[in-house]
Amino acid sequence: MRTADVVIVGAGVLGASAASRLARDGHRVVVLERGAPGREGSGTTAGNLHVQAVHTRRPGQAVPLDSARFAPLQRAASDLWETVEDDLGASVELRRSGGFTVAETPEQVQELYDKQAWENAAGIKTEILGGDAARDALPQLGPTVAAATWCPHDGYANPLKVTPAYLDDAVRHGAEVVPFAPVTAIAREGGSWRVRAGAREIETPVVIDVAGPWLHKIAALTGVALDVAPVAIQMHATVRCSSGLPHLVQHIGEGLSVKQVNAGNLLVGGGWPARRLNLDGRSDAGVDSMVGNLALAVRILPFVRRLRLLRAWAGPLAATPDEMPVIGEVPGRPGFLVAGGTYAFTFAPLWAETLRCLVAGAEPPVDVSDLGPDRLMHNLPEKKR
Amino acid sequence: MRAKAVIGTPPRTVTIHVDGRPVSVVEGVSLAAALVGDRTWTFRYNPVSEEPRGPFCGMGVCLECEVTVDGRPGVRACLTPVRPGMRVETEEERA
Amino acid sequence: MTVHERDVVIVGGGPAGLAAAHRLAAAGLSVTVVDEQAELGGQYFRRPAPEVARVWGDHRPEGGRLVGAVRAAGVECRTGHLVWGVGDDGRTLLVCDPAERPVRLRGRYLIIATGAHERPFPFPGWQLPGVTTPGFAQHLAAADHTPIGERVVLAGSGPFLLPVACSLLDLGVTVAGIAEAGRPYRPSTRALGTVRHPARLRELAGYAARLARARVPLWQNTVVVRADGGDRITSVTLAAATAPTRPVRTVQVDALCVGYGFRPQTDLARMLGCAVRTDPATGDATPELDDSGRSSRDDVYVIGEAAGIGGAPVAEVRGLAAALDILGREGHEPRAGEVRGLAAAGRRLAHFKRLTDALYPAPAELARLLPSALPDAATLCRCEAVSAGEVRGIARTAGRDVNAAKAWTRAGMGPCQGRECGFAVTAVTRVSPADGLPAGVFPSRLPVRPVPVATLLEMAGEGEPA
Repeated sequence: MRTADVVIVGAGVLGASAASRLARDGHRVVVLERGAPGREGSGTTAGNLHVQAVHTRRPGQAVPLDSARFAPLQRAASDLWETVEDDLGASVELRRSGGFTVAETPEQVQELYDKQAWENAAGIKTEILGGDAARDALPQLGPTVAAATWCPHDGYANPLKVTPAYLDDAVRHGAEVVPFAPVTAIAREGGSWRVRAGAREIETPVVIDVAGPWLHKIAALTGVALDVAPVAIQMHATVRCSSGLPHLVQHIGEGLSVKQVNAGNLLVGGGWPARRLNLDGRSDAGVDSMVGNLALAVRILPFVRRLRLLRAWAGPLAATPDEMPVIGEVPGRPGFLVAGGTYAFTFAPLWAETLRCLVAGAEPPVDVSDLGPDRLMHNLPEKKR
Repeated sequence: MRAKAVIGTPPRTVTIHVDGRPVSVVEGVSLAAALVGDRTWTFRYNPVSEEPRGPFCGMGVCLECEVTVDGRPGVRACLTPVRPGMRVETEEERA
Repeated sequence: MTVHERDVVIVGGGPAGLAAAHRLAAAGLSVTVVDEQAELGGQYFRRPAPEVARVWGDHRPEGGRLVGAVRAAGVECRTGHLVWGVGDDGRTLLVCDPAERPVRLRGRYLIIATGAHERPFPFPGWQLPGVTTPGFAQHLAAADHTPIGERVVLAGSGPFLLPVACSLLDLGVTVAGIAEAGRPYRPSTRALGTVRHPARLRELAGYAARLARARVPLWQNTVVVRADGGDRITSVTLAAATAPTRPVRTVQVDALCVGYGFRPQTDLARMLGCAVRTDPATGDATPELDDSGRSSRDDVYVIGEAAGIGGAPVAEVRGLAAALDILGREGHEPRAGEVRGLAAAGRRLAHFKRLTDALYPAPAELARLLPSALPDAATLCRCEAVSAGEVRGIARTAGRDVNAAKAWTRAGMGPCQGRECGFAVTAVTRVSPADGLPAGVFPSRLPVRPVPVATLLEMAGEGEPA
């Protein structure tokens, strides 16, 4: 049987970035991926870098995320994104062109002020503009915009470049990436883990479960029930348009994010639910969400009305009940670490560095002790603490 | 299939405007045929490579023949019959 | 917005859709045929402009008669209507009318007759103006009486190149030659006429004889390896299919038409959830159907070329078979001998198809053969201008998965949604067509064609869920 220092389950953006960091530390890393690398949540996300505090509820989301706790994590991730391209020696189309979060109602305007307090506390520079000042700054904004928060650090990186760049870096540093190798068993034997994928069996002291929507299924192979549920959301791309939208535009009270990518297409998202989650194939985008999302985009950015919709697609993500990320070692499962949850793309460089530190027994760049999987283990059948 | 004998009188024609220029074409033919018959082969420029592009599939699949008709962009010339007075704009070369 | 409810909605007004529509309407069912073209007929029966037909005649008068019969039978014909998607209920067809207004159509039965599109394979210069599919040349000649050029080479593979060449000769075009990747006419086109064969093969022999009389060179085992030109193609370079790196001749042309047969257009069927499988011989997604064209969904039939390439006569038989199955489920008695006659016709045509298929290289064989002639610098995806080298460069890291290759390079991500380059992207990404990887087809995505945002807003404005 072959051995490894670390087995990573999932070749999405978290698996790829963690593999790169750990391989650079000299670990023998094997990445096992059930399908092709970067094809699920990491290949279908919009690629926003959320630095200012975000809209706290996806459409249909039950519990709002804790923005006060989120802001320092966003700040730390933002700092790390600054060096990603130099570090990997590859373009990921990183753009810090800044972003607006718009408000339409008085309550939403108040929310902008509330969140600015958290942003200030985390050292994130933001500015709140009235409706007319916002339209002066971004003339495409529509008449219903009552106020907007401007954050110069919001941005974009092409998710279809980020994961491959991290994977290439990991491979350059000796990691092995195995596509089409779904993990079917993880057993504890003699103080280490035995990970089985098809005919392959690997003995390793450390397993990192970054399987995104399958996170709980992989954890379940070790006998742990984690309260993480996959959901599918959808995205929309218009045809290329000549009029430029230089900034990311989001909404504080409704699901909306709009930006123009390097290729010239507008990407319209905002966490609207897909028609169907399908973990055995591709999830389907739905028409109701498409129409709702685009109608909202047109209200905030009226010029979108003149464009044509090129494509809609859906992608899965792993959602926790409290909408907060999960990262850390599973209690009672030494060397078995998980990382995931929403906004994983924005947090990827931060979680990669955090996982590297956790494996090395070093202090992580941010305190994640309250984000561990213990809080998701309510229904654990055989609780070993 | 053999050449058909001319059955009737010469075909009726209509005038369309291609980039502001009047062009006389057989009534009812496809806009793609009207442009090709007028020796216009560059309908647009590829937005990435900026190379000239012309109609390719002729059946609405490739979208290479998209032109602007009466102000409406993205009209597939291969699926659009000519109408008298139709104003057609091909894409201008990118600087 | 009103949902138009019908007994049967048929998407696609080609030979299959028309045959089904006519039979169903004749039995009294309410039928709508929806087609994005301005007139019914599909690609095979593509209707000439009335002025063209009046002056130069109709290339397929039987198509005109069928369209006329369909209209006379009371079928609602929604031409110029684009079906771009399926509502969240899984059965309402979302349509964009000629004025770009939204229309919803629902049928107790849906018949998908969306036809096929051609199978191109890239070569350096295939994106030049003047390089087209053979189908475009055929439409220009037959429907618009317009020559694609003055001096033309036809290339690719399959029987379709021969009638296109004849159509061009009829217009006085110089056909500088036909390059066929296989060796179907070995030792000569006469071989076609000497075997015992059904009438359809004789038709092919007729085209071959006409081309021989016009002294059109027929180069077998020959592929296009490059096209050159500026704003329009000026020359094409050919090589032996078995030695594509050694060019054998360059021909001056002002148009080049290249196609390697046809691929079923199954986006809508897949969007409706009809089960598909990958045909090992073609690499194409093919719906799983029973003998009457009924899919894995009881209320959805897939007929014509969308059900698998077979040609117009097969399409008509499939259309009638689906119609009879629906009529049977509705309690109608078939006409005397109708079912038996249809089955016999189906068997005859299947026999013919086996004969012709055996003459030409299978697409799986082309997928093995053609990538070696494709240099890294060549444009692979025309929409996004992605080179073959870019795709080759990431193929390994991408796990040789065609969808990962698409995501990482944008090949297949443009407005045509990979319909033109999909076959080639798969061929370049994979080690071999039989490498055991999952099916190499791009997923079907909403909308099937770009749809105006304004049309979507109009759907939202009505307040009714899609």
